[in-house]
Amino acid sequence: MTIAAHPHAAKPLRKRIADASEPYLYSAPALILIITVMLVPLVLGISYAFRDIQLLNPFSGGFIGLDHFRTLSEDQAFFRALRNTLWWTGASVFLQFFFGLILALLLDKPFAGRGLAQALVFLPWAVPSFLAGLNWAWLFNPVIGPLPHWMYALGIMDAPNNILSDPHLAMWGPIVANVWWGIPFFAITLLAALQAIPRDLYEAASIDGAGPVQRFLSITLPFLAPTIAITILLRTVWISNFADLIVVMTNGGPADRTQIVASYIFTQAFKRLDFGYASAIALVLLVLLLAYSMLIVVLRQTLLNKG
Amino acid sequence: MASIDIQSIRKSFGTFPVLHGVDLTIRDGEFIVLVGPSGCGKSTLLRMIAGLEGVTSGDIRIDGKRVNDLAPKDRDIAMVFQSYALYPHMSVADNMSYSLRLRRTAKEKIASAVGNAASKLGLDPLLERRPRALSGGQRQRVAMGRAIVRQPKAFLFDEPLSNLDARLREQMRAEIKKLHADLRATSIYVTHDQIEAMTLADRIVAMHAGVVQQVGTPLDLYDRPANLFVAGFIGSPGMNFFEGLYVVSGEKAELRLANGTVLPVGKRAGIESGSVATLGIRPEHVTLNDQGALEADVDLIEPTGFGIIMHVTLHDGPLKIFTLDRSMLNPGPKVRVDLPLERLHLFGSDGNRVD
Repeated sequence: MTIAAHPHAAKPLRKRIADASEPYLYSAPALILIITVMLVPLVLGISYAFRDIQLLNPFSGGFIGLDHFRTLSEDQAFFRALRNTLWWTGASVFLQFFFGLILALLLDKPFAGRGLAQALVFLPWAVPSFLAGLNWAWLFNPVIGPLPHWMYALGIMDAPNNILSDPHLAMWGPIVANVWWGIPFFAITLLAALQAIPRDLYEAASIDGAGPVQRFLSITLPFLAPTIAITILLRTVWISNFADLIVVMTNGGPADRTQIVASYIFTQAFKRLDFGYASAIALVLLVLLLAYSMLIVVLRQTLLNKG
Repeated sequence: MASIDIQSIRKSFGTFPVLHGVDLTIRDGEFIVLVGPSGCGKSTLLRMIAGLEGVTSGDIRIDGKRVNDLAPKDRDIAMVFQSYALYPHMSVADNMSYSLRLRRTAKEKIASAVGNAASKLGLDPLLERRPRALSGGQRQRVAMGRAIVRQPKAFLFDEPLSNLDARLREQMRAEIKKLHADLRATSIYVTHDQIEAMTLADRIVAMHAGVVQQVGTPLDLYDRPANLFVAGFIGSPGMNFFEGLYVVSGEKAELRLANGTVLPVGKRAGIESGSVATLGIRPEHVTLNDQGALEADVDLIEPTGFGIIMHVTLHDGPLKIFTLDRSMLNPGPKVRVDLPLERLHLFGSDGNRVD
């Protein structure tokens, strides 16, 4: 009877250890993989931010505490890059979303050749960003591209100049390229969300007396809201990290007017070869984006709970 | 409230015709049920009245006014959908008041209209909930409430009870009937369920393959079906049919089946002797009788609790009998039956009723 009342006492120690570690052993392969592939580089990168690491200086590598961040707080180029990032990300995301939504709404209506149109719309997504950047750089180049001449003919510009070399307009070059390249992402995801809206809701609303605008506001928009929130979150993070087009088209110039934080990090790390400072900037960007993501996730959760 | 007048309405999807010239006049306050099997065009007809489908040719008039080219919102009708089509992000009260808010009705008016409708349908405690927090029956009520707050000219129902379980369907059926008795609003109700059609309708419109087969009161359709389709569609279990030659001899007439059986039928004026005809009799009208004229082999007994459905073979042909006689649960291998003359329906070779 005593044995039956205390079954655990009867188990040998090795068996108890095996039982206790069982769940950890099952999850170990996945955990080890995640730690080696994600956490180790992350921690290493963060540690660089507090060390003096310059590839060309063999005596560098020592721990310097918050020195990089002190330099960073007085680095005017960094603050300009931060402002440029806001502009670049805001304009790109807004225009991509705006045109993507219009495209999705158009593709949601049946018309002859819709299948072909859908396939064509998604084509820019398949173009490598490097190629897209080169193409647009050429399009803006008055020697070989038609765009400056068209804009001149339309009276938008005083002379057929390259906007990529104009400090006040240069940022619009990569933004236009980015919008062209990123519209399909919004079009695809919003179209999928649109097609999930039950059609009889629109019919009920039209019988209830809603016109096209009211139907859009009271049915389409509430149904799309969670998708809009999550896609804008994703795109904002991607685009603010996305330096390819800028590096290819303007390389941050003229006079740092198109330098965003991501391209500034790239310049610091791979041109100046100052990995320590680059890591410090990257860490600041990481913190900013994390804060932003948390904000959007909370927003989306409240939207979903309400809906 | 209004009358609805439908004149030679046709509808084709592409080159595929689904309605072949429907004429129908619905009086003010009448409850009309469109009934028929899937694909007969009844839902299409309803959606054309609502304005959700275009009209290929013909005219629809509501209250004397031609509405063919009016948008749904300008027709002043309300519709209850099979899926209820409630706005999921709006509360019950907002769902019900949406149409009034769109028409910029005064706040107090909206509140009283929603309050009235809610108390009529027992929705008062649910007004602040969202549709997803409601049961199927409650959603159904909200859909009805959304229709009645507006006091439209006509109510359109598109199979509104199909998504409910049998018990709830019975209950909602009675409520719809009560509501109609209360509001006396012109209503058009689409269903494939003949019980709903029989119980609710002032008049039934039986449709098949895009053509109206018969329009009449429920008992008209039951007692005097206009053709083979209506005869077979209305009634459960379905009517028995025998095909044969109609032959007149003196004052009597009979139907000679292919297997040689001779069934006496009353003499009819609308059919010539020697022509092909189909005889119909409802299972509940076949009488079981020890001295019956016909002998049948018993194949199967289906007790329904209320009565018994007997499947028997009468001279090589199947026959269904519905009886309330419980002794028929164990009838033995053979029974004798009569087919009373006054209960027989006769249909000519074109399928139409002959009297």
